[in-house]
Amino acid sequence: MADTMLKMKDVSKIYVLGNQKNARKAQKAIHNLSKKYIRFTKKGNKTEAAKAEKFIAKAQRLFTEEKYEQSYQSITGRKIKPKSGKGSVVHALNGVSLEIKAGELVAIMGPSGSGKSTLLNMLGILDQPTSGQIHIDSSDVTATKGRNLPGLRSKKLGFVFQSFNLVPTLTALENVMLPLKYKGLHLRTRKKQARDALETVGLGDRLDHKPAELSGGQQQRVAIARSIVSNPAIILADELTGELDSKMTEEVMRLVLKLNKAGQTFIIVTHNPDVAKLCRRIIYMKDGRIEKETKNSR
Amino acid sequence: MFRRKGRTVLTVFGITIGIFAFTVMGSMAEKISLLVSGGTEFYSDKVTISQSDSLFLSGPMNVNKAAEIEKVDGVKAVSASVFTSLSKTFDAVSFGPPASITGEQLENRELESFKITYSSGRQIEEGDRGKVVIGADLVKKLDAKVGSNVKIRDKDYEVVGIMEKTLTAPDNSVVMTLPDVQEIYFGELPEIVQSQSKPSEVVNGFTVYPNEGVDPNQLAAKIDNEVSDISAFGPQDFQDQIASATGIFNAILFGVALISLIVGGLSVINTMTMSISERTKEIGIKKAVGAKTKNILGEYLAEAGLIGLFGGLLGWGLGALTVFFVNSATESSGNQIFLLSARISVFAIIFATVLGVLAGFYPAYRATRINIVKALREE
Repeated sequence: MADTMLKMKDVSKIYVLGNQKNARKAQKAIHNLSKKYIRFTKKGNKTEAAKAEKFIAKAQRLFTEEKYEQSYQSITGRKIKPKSGKGSVVHALNGVSLEIKAGELVAIMGPSGSGKSTLLNMLGILDQPTSGQIHIDSSDVTATKGRNLPGLRSKKLGFVFQSFNLVPTLTALENVMLPLKYKGLHLRTRKKQARDALETVGLGDRLDHKPAELSGGQQQRVAIARSIVSNPAIILADELTGELDSKMTEEVMRLVLKLNKAGQTFIIVTHNPDVAKLCRRIIYMKDGRIEKETKNSR
Repeated sequence: MFRRKGRTVLTVFGITIGIFAFTVMGSMAEKISLLVSGGTEFYSDKVTISQSDSLFLSGPMNVNKAAEIEKVDGVKAVSASVFTSLSKTFDAVSFGPPASITGEQLENRELESFKITYSSGRQIEEGDRGKVVIGADLVKKLDAKVGSNVKIRDKDYEVVGIMEKTLTAPDNSVVMTLPDVQEIYFGELPEIVQSQSKPSEVVNGFTVYPNEGVDPNQLAAKIDNEVSDISAFGPQDFQDQIASATGIFNAILFGVALISLIVGGLSVINTMTMSISERTKEIGIKKAVGAKTKNILGEYLAEAGLIGLFGGLLGWGLGALTVFFVNSATESSGNQIFLLSARISVFAIIFATVLGVLAGFYPAYRATRINIVKALREE
């Protein structure tokens, strides 16, 4: 129906935990090469790109087989001594491809450890994928330089976190003003926009309350106000009802549906089937892969 | 930082103590260096003759030596002078030049480049027997007023003038006519010396004014060579005797102050690091909603700088109060030991702020390195 807001292609994320030096080295080598690969494709240098792709595939296969030394060698050509560390290697995402259009309300479900939070972190540019490409609203995230990421984040994305994540020492209004501050807006504009956002979520009378003085549902609504205040392309919500009782969940979801109706794109990670039911599209994840996708006719 | 008052206040106190020590010690050092530079100026263009090897402790000399010195090539004029301590026993606990009585021949006074002005009354004149001029620091101690009498060495003298503050030796001295001091000085001498001369012949110093274009240092060496039984001191000798000694003293004082500042700086680092690890989540949120590295860095550096500034202001204020009270308490004894100069004040406060910012740099840098995902997961 509308423009593509988000596109993920073959995204993988591997966490190397603890003291696994060789795995980490191999990771870095693969990561660097995939950056090169992206540059080649951009320049239209097909032969180089194809070569890089082949190398990446090989290194990744060796990596999945836990042959980290060979994986490193296959890219760099240098040998490294095998070391047995105490750490472990976690494949949080294994080649996820996804496309989300403007105005969609998407739920991502799955058991713990299925990679849904990792996926959300990738989407939110909070973490870099090991390989693969992510486009958000026509910007290539994976090709963006590190220091430009915060700007991209504040322009394109709004976040609502599991445990509200409001700054406890700031009032509701100040919390909502926070993203605008980093956009360099004038104080009066910030105040006005923040007040408007709080009114949208129905908290126009709670501007000067600290988070501790608000109920869970109200706190989450402040968090939503904070995410919509900068007019993001997508709002990413991680377990947004995870710490709320059913009444408050309903209260928050009503707000989400209202905003979605007005055209706001949402991606919600949730455990709660009741929340997912309200979304038009549900993506089920398992073991770092998209297991299945269903559409609600509602 | 205003929301975490307790710890911030403690850190501010850490800096406060450092800056306090710095202000007080610095004021002391400043006073000394001013005394020295005043002295340097005082001795800059003349040669001072002493009977012994020390510029400040001289023995008796015959006033006729002046004629001998005048014969040396390059000497323009010679003034005999007497210098003795104000009280009979030497003031052991004294800071800078001890309180003293001086008197000199007045005929060459216009050659003196170190001009003294008078806050009230006039300068001493020939024939002012029994009259005195009082230095600024001694006014309280002697309870002196122009027109009133002061008791010096159990004798009453009339005050005819009070000198303006010079920040060096004259502040702490009483000026009399030469014959008056000679009488006092003569009384102090051993009987064997007394029996061989009379008061009007005994002096213990000469001031030699060189001809124009003559280097006082070279002239001093020349006088040393040509006139026996005396030592001549040029400006350089003064520098060597005094400035080097006070230099060490200054270094010690600044060292002490610096150590307290290092302690203050470390406590800022500690507080800021603690505060940042406590606020990991908050920083994570800020980064997630679009704070750039420079935003985070700026925020924490500003906070550290503010801590430093507050500590600096407070420490400087306390130091200034201490200096003020100690000075007014010791004023009556004519022994002020502090001078809080503008440059010490400005330096202390700026230094405190810079210290805060520098100390805040490491914790602030750590704050920028916080992993967003980990920070947000933290409960």
